[in-house]
Amino acid sequence: MTAIDTAFAVSLLAHAIQAGTPLLLATVGEIYSERSGVLNLGLEGIMIMGALTAFLVSFRTGDIALAIVAAAIVGALLSLIHAFLSITLKANQIVSGLAISIFGLGVSGFLGRPLIGQIATKLQSTPIPLLQDIPVLGPILFSGDVLIYFSVIVSLVLWFVLFRTRFGLNIRSVGENPSMADSLGVNVDLTRYVCVLVGGALGGLGGAYLSIVYTPLWIEGMTAGRGWIAIALTIFAVWNPLGAILGAYLFGGVIALQFRLQAIGIGTETPQLLLMLPYFVTIGTLVLMSSATLRKRVGVPAALGNPYVRGE
Amino acid sequence: MTQKKTEEQNVSRRKFITGTIGGLAVGALAGYAGGIGTAPAGITREVTTTTTAAPAKRIKAGFIYVGPVGDFGWSYGHDRGRKYVAEKIPWLDTVYAESVPEAEAAGPIDKMVADGADIVLTTSFGFMDPTIAAGERHPDKTFMHCSGYKRSKNVGTYFAEFYQLYYLNGLAAGAMSKTGKIGYVAAHPIPEVIRHINAFVLGAREVNPKIEASVVFLFSWFDPGKTRDAAVSLIESNNADVLAYTEDSPTTLQVAQEYQDKGKPVWSFSHYSDMTQYGPKAHLTGQVVEWGLMYEYILSKLYAGTWRPEDSWARIGDGTGYKWKLPEAKSTAEAVEGTFETLPGQTDFYDNVVHLAPLNPAIPDQQRALIVRRYEEMKEMLFEPFTGPIKDQDGNVKLQAGQRATHDDLWGMDWFVEGITTKIPK
Repeated sequence: MTAIDTAFAVSLLAHAIQAGTPLLLATVGEIYSERSGVLNLGLEGIMIMGALTAFLVSFRTGDIALAIVAAAIVGALLSLIHAFLSITLKANQIVSGLAISIFGLGVSGFLGRPLIGQIATKLQSTPIPLLQDIPVLGPILFSGDVLIYFSVIVSLVLWFVLFRTRFGLNIRSVGENPSMADSLGVNVDLTRYVCVLVGGALGGLGGAYLSIVYTPLWIEGMTAGRGWIAIALTIFAVWNPLGAILGAYLFGGVIALQFRLQAIGIGTETPQLLLMLPYFVTIGTLVLMSSATLRKRVGVPAALGNPYVRGE
Repeated sequence: MTQKKTEEQNVSRRKFITGTIGGLAVGALAGYAGGIGTAPAGITREVTTTTTAAPAKRIKAGFIYVGPVGDFGWSYGHDRGRKYVAEKIPWLDTVYAESVPEAEAAGPIDKMVADGADIVLTTSFGFMDPTIAAGERHPDKTFMHCSGYKRSKNVGTYFAEFYQLYYLNGLAAGAMSKTGKIGYVAAHPIPEVIRHINAFVLGAREVNPKIEASVVFLFSWFDPGKTRDAAVSLIESNNADVLAYTEDSPTTLQVAQEYQDKGKPVWSFSHYSDMTQYGPKAHLTGQVVEWGLMYEYILSKLYAGTWRPEDSWARIGDGTGYKWKLPEAKSTAEAVEGTFETLPGQTDFYDNVVHLAPLNPAIPDQQRALIVRRYEEMKEMLFEPFTGPIKDQDGNVKLQAGQRATHDDLWGMDWFVEGITTKIPK
């Protein structure tokens, strides 16, 4: 590889990771929610409220750590509404989720009016000493910001919890067969509440990444559908946090690559084709997942979307 | 006459919150019952300007926006215009509906008419047919549609056109680019955007004929994240150091500022409103629209009974000095107010529906003088960016020497000028 090719690749991959980070946070969160059997279509609303909260807190206090924490809390609180409706009240998860999304978009737009055109403190990157000097890998992996590092670590930890711990087994069994889990003494509702709240907090962080790191500003509707993309990525990742890392970076990478190819004049007559790629892959995954054997094998949460009522 | 202006926003806020919570409760109930959710409808809010000693005649104007007024772009700009007239004109009441889907404009329009609106202004291209249809349903009311081409006896059209300002941006780009590469983050490959890209590149090449431009299309009007991706790509992969854009957020300017902060000079512009605060160092100038002046013109004509279903296309020079001047009452055709006699740092462009954002002092004096000169020449229609000889990117002559592009040439532009390396997506 020539120096120019290497520079292109390094810049592209660093870009892919940054573009993929909000998606990764939201996707891992949604994976937890869905693994426990709760489909959360409120993610778009949760992300936008996270984005608003982070920007608002950063603007008012200048305290970026507080802004991040506040976004996670607001995300968790919004998902608490969803959890209450769909777990305790056994409401239709699809409708409740859509209501949360609509609510989040509306309320954030309204509350954010005074913030339009304002500038807030943004999260600066924190290159890791020594590691950032490694050729090629340094600028790609170790020159980001704390939320990038956090998103990767949290994905790995949540993968470990989900597949290597007792609690993870409980989560999966609750999403797979809640009556069985119940009969084995697992608290179905509590497990689901925890997962939905974790999912909401991560969704809020994903939104925060947009408003205080990636595009540090507040504009109504600035998540621009990333919540829905994260829901698609959950399927793409076959409900596995490691798959989410792959999916989110691939998605970020394809967008970055597509724009870079346009910028240097390759394939500029049909730039849409590459942009469709992640969606094709998602549809492909859906098709594959329609096979019963495969569903069983990867552990698609069988009870996804179904409220659990004891004795039914 | 004493006047008292009351903004009834508190009431509407309460209504809005109640409405939203109500909607959520309904959603939850529907969910409980296992029903199916519906898409969000447009949110309507009313702002009334009242006067204690009301004049005999009042006009109520309704504004229909396609996006949220908080987009800091298109709908935000129109709402700034609404606020301007609501504040300034004592005989005017205004209402607006935001986030109105293009296919569902009929409902909000009819509601405004039912609530007593004398004129309804629809501010998105997609509202064209619904506006014409509304004109037929309400023959005694007046309608104005922004950016369309269909008119009827009570439906007129209006638009603010930016290509001249993009040309001036191009002059600044040509002056500032060190790499000889400039970039453009574009929403969609449609004639309006292509016209602006071409004007930008023509301007840059007036200053530096060797400049090359590449264009990245987002296929979206609004997505700050993707805009960032596109802007970064142009800078990192193509070495572009001046970026113009057609997209409804200040993201491109922010990205340029980010590179400035890292010590790499990258420049960008304002779009729709003055966005200097997003890139104090990176901001060269830009295009700003004052819809308020346009609305003042339209509503004043309606009030005076001289409104006609005409097409008001506001460029620099379209009636400058008498038609669009601020304030209109003071304007005369002869005296041109607000002409910038002094240059560095203290130019005043706020005299047109469309005007330039402040010029960055970093632009060398010679090119700054050129920008101001071209601006003044455009006001008098002495200079027109699309004047031949102009070749397309494949070397075909599109405009002969001395030939000016017509309204229709501009309106249907589907080719890129020489110097653009990108092809137009099919």
